[in-house]
Amino acid sequence: MPVDRRKTLDRRSFIKMVGAGAPVAAISCRDRDAADRLSDQAGAGDLRPADLTWDKAPCRFCGTGCGVEVGVSQGKVMAVRGDEASPVNRGLLCVKGYHLPAFLYGEDRLTKPQRRHADGRLEEISWDEALNLIAENFQGTLDQHGPEAVAVYGSGQWTVFDGYAALKWVKGGMRSNNLDPNARLCMASAVTGFMTQFGSDEPMGCYEDFEAGDDFVLWGNNMAEMHPVLFSRILEHKRQDPGVRVIDIGTRRTPTSQCADLYVEMQPGSDLALANGILHLLMAQNRLDLGFIQENIVFRRGIEDLETIGYGCFDDQAERYDFKDQASESTLEEMRAFLADYTPSRVAELSGVPEAQIRTLADLYGDSRRGTVSLWCMGVNQHTRGTWMNNLINNLHLLTGKIGRPGNNPLSLTGQPSACGTAREVGTLANRLPADMVVTKEEHRRKAEEIWRLEAGTINPKPGYHAVDMFRAFARGDVKTMWIQTTNPWVSLPNLHRFERRPGDGRFLVVSDIYPTPTTAVADLILPSAAWVEREGMFGNTERRTQHWNQMVPPPGEAKEDAWQFIEVAKRMGMGHLFPWQGDWHQPMFEEYRSFTLGIGKDLASYEQLKSTRGMRWPVVDGKETRYRYAAGHDPYVEKSEGVEFYKAKAYGKKAAVWLRPYHPPAEVPDADYPFWLSTGRVLEHWHTGSMTRRIDQLHQAVPKAYVEINRADALELGIGPGETVRLVSRRGSIDLEAHIDGRGQPPRGSVFVPFFDESLKINELTLDAMDNISKEPDYKKCSVRLERLA
Amino acid sequence: MTPQGRHRVRRFLPAVGWLVVCWLVASCSTEPGDRVPVPDRDDGVVKTAAHLRADRRLYDGAPPVIPHPPFGAACIACHHREGVAVPDVGFAPPAPHSSEALAGTMQRCQQCHIFQQTDQPYVGNSFAGLRQDLRSGRRLYDGAPPVLPHQVFMRENCTACHSGAAAREEIRTSHPERPNCQQCHVEQTTTARFELPGG
Repeated sequence: MPVDRRKTLDRRSFIKMVGAGAPVAAISCRDRDAADRLSDQAGAGDLRPADLTWDKAPCRFCGTGCGVEVGVSQGKVMAVRGDEASPVNRGLLCVKGYHLPAFLYGEDRLTKPQRRHADGRLEEISWDEALNLIAENFQGTLDQHGPEAVAVYGSGQWTVFDGYAALKWVKGGMRSNNLDPNARLCMASAVTGFMTQFGSDEPMGCYEDFEAGDDFVLWGNNMAEMHPVLFSRILEHKRQDPGVRVIDIGTRRTPTSQCADLYVEMQPGSDLALANGILHLLMAQNRLDLGFIQENIVFRRGIEDLETIGYGCFDDQAERYDFKDQASESTLEEMRAFLADYTPSRVAELSGVPEAQIRTLADLYGDSRRGTVSLWCMGVNQHTRGTWMNNLINNLHLLTGKIGRPGNNPLSLTGQPSACGTAREVGTLANRLPADMVVTKEEHRRKAEEIWRLEAGTINPKPGYHAVDMFRAFARGDVKTMWIQTTNPWVSLPNLHRFERRPGDGRFLVVSDIYPTPTTAVADLILPSAAWVEREGMFGNTERRTQHWNQMVPPPGEAKEDAWQFIEVAKRMGMGHLFPWQGDWHQPMFEEYRSFTLGIGKDLASYEQLKSTRGMRWPVVDGKETRYRYAAGHDPYVEKSEGVEFYKAKAYGKKAAVWLRPYHPPAEVPDADYPFWLSTGRVLEHWHTGSMTRRIDQLHQAVPKAYVEINRADALELGIGPGETVRLVSRRGSIDLEAHIDGRGQPPRGSVFVPFFDESLKINELTLDAMDNISKEPDYKKCSVRLERLA
Repeated sequence: MTPQGRHRVRRFLPAVGWLVVCWLVASCSTEPGDRVPVPDRDDGVVKTAAHLRADRRLYDGAPPVIPHPPFGAACIACHHREGVAVPDVGFAPPAPHSSEALAGTMQRCQQCHIFQQTDQPYVGNSFAGLRQDLRSGRRLYDGAPPVLPHQVFMRENCTACHSGAAAREEIRTSHPERPNCQQCHVEQTTTARFELPGG
């Protein structure tokens, strides 16, 4: 840890904290009596844990989906404890989870709808006025400009109910597809990776792979901080079996690297070359599972021309990026020729990874006696070729047959609590419908229209704006009316300066949230939302586990559930038929949604079962969950008696597709003017834009503001000392940050890292809005900056 | 001291171990008669070990934040076995987690315990969490073993706080040679009384 942090504590605070005022602790008889008196006073009327009402819920923060027990008394959450009955975390939490209940009680919680006047002043209004205002604006825009001019932007923190209500209202009511979640900034490349290869989204493996695998290969994934409880499971497995190895492939040393058996440092973006280099060696050494390939694999390749594809942020693509990949058939032989270029020496040159390490990685993936689990999250997904990189990791498993078996799987981790359950499964994306369906296919639209009892042809076949294009369209004025819920894009979007807005520009922006944020600051109407256990909900985690929780406490003031807000506006727009349920609509709404999933291998558990269990992993057939998808003996949809069957990939004849994907350089690379790589990300203590975690004292006080991690040698060269303020400048903006040297993360020479949680030091003013060509997910990990030492 | 007084003292929750050393230091440097409680708060109220313990936690059950700045050493270098007195800092108590957990699941202390860089809040927060139950640790009768006043889960290493140098006098076991604590001391999971079915 950096010594400079000590500076931030003054001596008095420090002494108070360590209690070094030793006489305080002097325990004489008189002290004891005094202490006893105090204890008795403190104890009188206090509650014991057993006095609270405890009920289960998933944690509110990340995509791990840890089970917590929530202790409630008199309408307030008073404690949580790790749920020992949860198969996810078995009672353990991380520091965010343990401090979870306080996120509900920040003193600036939004409790009333507020409307912004032309002079910027906010006025409290009634829900009725607010809902009418929204309905008028959406209806007016629809009438005058059509469904392309309205938009709803949500998140992977929406519950299943919120996402489903949004989807049905936007796609089935307003006939617009301008519905996208912040999961586009987070998981979209994993979705397109799985879809292009398996014809169905989400992993085949599950968390039990953490105990079943031998080698854990982390691709650009600081799991120790971002998925700490899952990383604990690997560490525990490693303790029990010292043969277990953790391989950390990354662009910066992190707390994960400290626990790894091998740290593989690569140049930003060169993971494409590295994965192809491993495939090259596997092929050259005849270590592919040819039997498995023969039985289960087809080969495909797409458009590979860099000029045609671009990066989604330059020239014409800077306003709209709608590149579409085109598949053509390929073969194993063609792949052999394609990979001929990726020799260890060339890959070493491109990636900076020594040849010996490339060979070690090939040995590891090629060793059929050892179980291999690949893990990745934002490093691979937030990537200008993120879908390709997802494809390549899946390829490594497909070509070696290390897939669909306990301890042998590519397991993509999610960052948000219901990125899977809501964004991906409900399908709150611009091109999707529930359960892997898309708006571009007529049979899919028909199925949705039938379940929703809508006239054929209601659903618009043209995909809407993906997240970044949605905000570009809003900035241009093509989108006139927009509603944002459960997310904070004015901190999290890349290249933020281009989205700057002043209310009163003729457009209408509604923002529902639980606290004021830079996003509510630019809203015309702010709505107070109920959070987490203040309402009933369901999240779906990384391993396909759907988890239900009950409402346990009332929301503060007039705060309301997000789904309720949509339903009430829909009713005011004459779309009440979409939500016909009387009274408590949660169960009937879920039953309707569930009907999309049944019989197609996406089967969700029943409402009753979800209420009474610690979550179930789909497909759930006959009340039984599925640990390993596509695997005979595990997945009830597999008709084979052994091996795997990729039954969702009907277009490939129930086989999985291996894609030939080349290396492309990143969109912006360091040069003489901007000589450093900038990577951004999270820290353990804060979740996303910090609007919840910063309101918890213990978490805020641990990491009170953003900083820049600089390599020691670079700092010495530039004359920057630890704790000094430096200016970070990119082609898009600049901010001043405190320098951290040899802190918890240690970037290599020529690169810096900045966390994005701090709304007063927005690193996304510097990032580039370059995107993945297929998923349209922005790359927050690679752009170039310079450092300026301030006098 | 009366038996009731002793019982009251025994009701204290496991204390933070370095206090013992502070006490030892204080014992050496001052006359017994001089040892009076010194206010540690601006309002002049004395903090007991239980109060200090509570101060470091958001609520009873949350992991304590780290009360010292980072020293650049592995946590376990000090917080091991019986703990270590660190000059100018205090007593580093041993971790109450099982040795297996510390080598595996809980290898990364900072997954749950975090350093604090400031004492300023971001915005105010009105969370009123579960407080320590200071009435626990009671006995059925004088001489009966006290029930456990806290959860055992993730605090399986009873000796970390209840024996050795880290153990405060009032929670120090008189029988450290007996290894199976939960044979006689049981955890309380409910405050309800047994009722006959249908009764």
